Amino acid sequence: MTDVAGAGTLQLQPVGQSRRIGRRLRRRKSFVVGVTGLTLIIGAAVLAPWLAPHDPMQQDLMATLLPPAWVEGGSPDFPFGTDALGRDVLSRMMYGARNSLLIAFFAVLIAASLGLAAGVTAGFSRSSMDALLMRMGDMQLAFPFILLAIIVLGVVTDRTALHIILVLGIPGWILYARVVRSRVLSEREKDYVTAAHAIGAGRSRQLRKYVLPAVWQVVLVIALLDFGFVILVESTLSFLGFGLTPPEPSWGSILAEGKRSMIVSPWLAVLPGLAIMLTVLAVNLTADGAADVLDPKLRKGVFRRRRQQDTGRQTVTADETGAVAQDDAAGTARRDDGPLLQVVDLHAEFPFDERSVYAVRGVSFAVDRGKTLGIVGESGSGKSVTALSILQLLDAPGRVTHGRVVFDGRDLTRIPDAEMSRLRGRQLGMIFQNPSASLNPVMTIGSQMVETIAAHQAGAGNRTDVARAALADVGIGDPDRVLRRYPFQLSGGMNQRVMIALAMIARPDLLIADEPTTALDVTTQAQVLEQLVAVTHDHDTALILITHDIALVHEYADDVIVMYAGRIFEAGPVRDVVRQPRHPYTKALLDSVPRADLEPNERLRAIPGELPDPSKPQPGCPFAARCAYVMDICRVEDPPLIEVAEHREAACHLPALPDAPPRAPSEVSV
Amino acid sequence: MNEILLEARGLTKHYEASGGFLGRGGAPVKAVDGVDLIIREGETLGLVGESGCGKSTLARTILLLETPTAGSLRFAGEELTAERAGELRRRAQIVFQDPYTSLPPRMRIEDIVADPLIIHGTVEAGQRSARVRQLLDDVGLRSMDARKLPHELSGGQRQRVGIARALAVQPSLIVADEAVSSLDVSVQAQILNLLKDLQERHRLAYLFVSHDLGVVKYVSHRIAVMYLGRVVERAGSRALHERPLHPYTGALMSAAPSLHERRSERIRLRGEPPDPARPPSGCRFHPRCPIAQPRCAEDEPQLQEWLPDHEASCHYALGEGS
Repeated sequence: MTDVAGAGTLQLQPVGQSRRIGRRLRRRKSFVVGVTGLTLIIGAAVLAPWLAPHDPMQQDLMATLLPPAWVEGGSPDFPFGTDALGRDVLSRMMYGARNSLLIAFFAVLIAASLGLAAGVTAGFSRSSMDALLMRMGDMQLAFPFILLAIIVLGVVTDRTALHIILVLGIPGWILYARVVRSRVLSEREKDYVTAAHAIGAGRSRQLRKYVLPAVWQVVLVIALLDFGFVILVESTLSFLGFGLTPPEPSWGSILAEGKRSMIVSPWLAVLPGLAIMLTVLAVNLTADGAADVLDPKLRKGVFRRRRQQDTGRQTVTADETGAVAQDDAAGTARRDDGPLLQVVDLHAEFPFDERSVYAVRGVSFAVDRGKTLGIVGESGSGKSVTALSILQLLDAPGRVTHGRVVFDGRDLTRIPDAEMSRLRGRQLGMIFQNPSASLNPVMTIGSQMVETIAAHQAGAGNRTDVARAALADVGIGDPDRVLRRYPFQLSGGMNQRVMIALAMIARPDLLIADEPTTALDVTTQAQVLEQLVAVTHDHDTALILITHDIALVHEYADDVIVMYAGRIFEAGPVRDVVRQPRHPYTKALLDSVPRADLEPNERLRAIPGELPDPSKPQPGCPFAARCAYVMDICRVEDPPLIEVAEHREAACHLPALPDAPPRAPSEVSV
Repeated sequence: MNEILLEARGLTKHYEASGGFLGRGGAPVKAVDGVDLIIREGETLGLVGESGCGKSTLARTILLLETPTAGSLRFAGEELTAERAGELRRRAQIVFQDPYTSLPPRMRIEDIVADPLIIHGTVEAGQRSARVRQLLDDVGLRSMDARKLPHELSGGQRQRVGIARALAVQPSLIVADEAVSSLDVSVQAQILNLLKDLQERHRLAYLFVSHDLGVVKYVSHRIAVMYLGRVVERAGSRALHERPLHPYTGALMSAAPSLHERRSERIRLRGEPPDPARPPSGCRFHPRCPIAQPRCAEDEPQLQEWLPDHEASCHYALGEGS
């Protein structure tokens, strides 16, 4: 889901946050089971004085080692049986739970408080305090924890709960401190903390009001996990005889006593063991559920898993074929005539929490060999999803629900996965925005290129020579130096050139570049794009250039498609579209770009309002709410994309755009 | 001409390089290396340059969010020192690039905007909520947005919240650090217009930092171009566009894609920007400069006035004969 959100295709209007968290927690069965179990155990412990059938210390030497009630010889008076001194096991376990849980609770409380304080201090002070605290932690972690506890508790003769709490609690701080410190370090660098500094907040205020609210949740999650761990350690200590002084019960000591009568009465050891295991299990299930929900990265919403329908990719009906002849899955017709790529009525959606996000809604276009097509759009326009749909690379659960992608005579939505991935390596190439994420960080450029060349058996002769030639092809002056480098040693522009060279090695028929220069500087952007357009043109490769920048498309593309809310609003030769837009959105987009001839006091004609929510398609034209030319029909009827002039298409109810919008810009601008 | 609001002289910010033997040894990174600039009341100074040129460091150093290594800063005629940073916080504010990290994720919008009012105690507690609504209204947000959390707003709306927070102390200077760079084109225009409206209404001065020369031209009265920690050209916005004197400015303008023409010939720069820890000898731009001469490798040009009110640091600002 991060991919999708990162691509800017989703803008969900969140429902009330707490309600949503509650709903998501309830949907996780394991969390519900964990919380229920934990509630029952804690309830039994708290209510022990009222619920327990007997006094846990009361001995009855007439009834020792009775088996549980459900075993032959058991008595309903002692549901879990009795121990070697004739004490009621159920009552002892309930009182033992009080001790075990109380000790664990306070130990965790101490560890968490110390750890939070230490972690925040270490993370927020740039001083030697940080180094001191962390080295202390390292030293402590180097010393076996259980051994330390045994040594300390072994010295104390009259052990009380307090001793055990301190011994278990204090050394636990480092667990919390490390995580808190790293969270504080990463939050401290964020702009909002700098902003707090800029508005004059002192250090303690920055910490209290800004940093702490963002880090404390993590303590809660660790504490839950730690709670289970401490119960185990406490039981271990009691078992080894370093727990509470007898006859005070705790699960570990009941277990230890039970061990002695293991042969005669195995239940005595099994029951407390089971209690410990179930408690720790319940705690861990609860902690896992809480961690998922409290993790801010997951807060935007979770995808609803949807069973892959067998017919998912074959929903194209016969009347959709349109201009494309009826070719079967392995169709071989139309190799040389007609466009290289034809997309027909493509629909793609992402099933989300409660609703679906309709990312692409009925997109049709064609690209010829050797041509450059620009796809322009803002966040959520569906431009990236269109590209991924062509390559059949939509991350699950996103999927193409309708339409066809005919490439070189074959419908890519119908061919088998294995064949599709072979096509992607050879005939179809893709370049992404962030080249360093697409290159292998631990391999030199040279070995990555040689590997690709070997996979394609591209070119004759020495593979290094081929690599050198490929780099020279994209304007790299000293290919030998670049071949020896690792991606991190090269600039973003150089890495992007390497990506282009890699993509071109297979001599693809179609190359899709999604925001290839957005992360680069202007001067580098110009160099890289010039090389990209030149190299694809030289090899008669079709190029789809996806970008938010209409000026970029104007300079480097032949044709343009303007997308908005998953639809094509306008299509045509890019110069004609820029000179005389036929859709109000295109015109507004062009007016939004600061022009050189604006007077100092003039305002840009901004498009009012916000981009529409792709999860709630409204009736009518998706641009109606922001359009300066809006008419009544626009709010009811969605205009189809129709031919408005030769090679020009637009989806608007207005047959032609008047020069000036009916409303003055001042009314429109916000 | 308006009064001088902020004046920086020889402002320098070096970062000690980490790594090397015992964490020492590396040359310091000269992020900002002796910059002079003047921002006048109610005026916008645009600061342009590519990534790594030091423009963001300069912006933060001017607000004393980073401690300058050397140089002096005067604000409204008075010398600024680290001890007097508190006063500066009431007069100068900052708006950031990324609307997703610049707001605290767990605070409500009204609390974010109210915090500067609480810190400086400028508004009585009873009046605070009314003042917050007024600030939100000022930046074009609805009062129903006040109770929301940042993630419930769109990028453009969040950026408006960032502006409202900056306006809360009634500053006379706002540093906008790439404030519209991560917004969609249609929303970017709204925010640019808003910044201009607010400037007129509140007589604000802006230091507008951006890599986008087109946007900077639209909002700025004057523009300074930075390269590798130094200002290489400084002029009125129009003059700079009509006749860029420094070859780097020319290259920047020529590289920007245009809606008016398709350039057949661009000024091409060689290579990539050098490492700011080891700037080239002589003119820092000479290894990439299309018109470099042998002299440029040895003799570092100073910023000098070649045309009235138009400075550049290039030996050949007016052509090869000069």
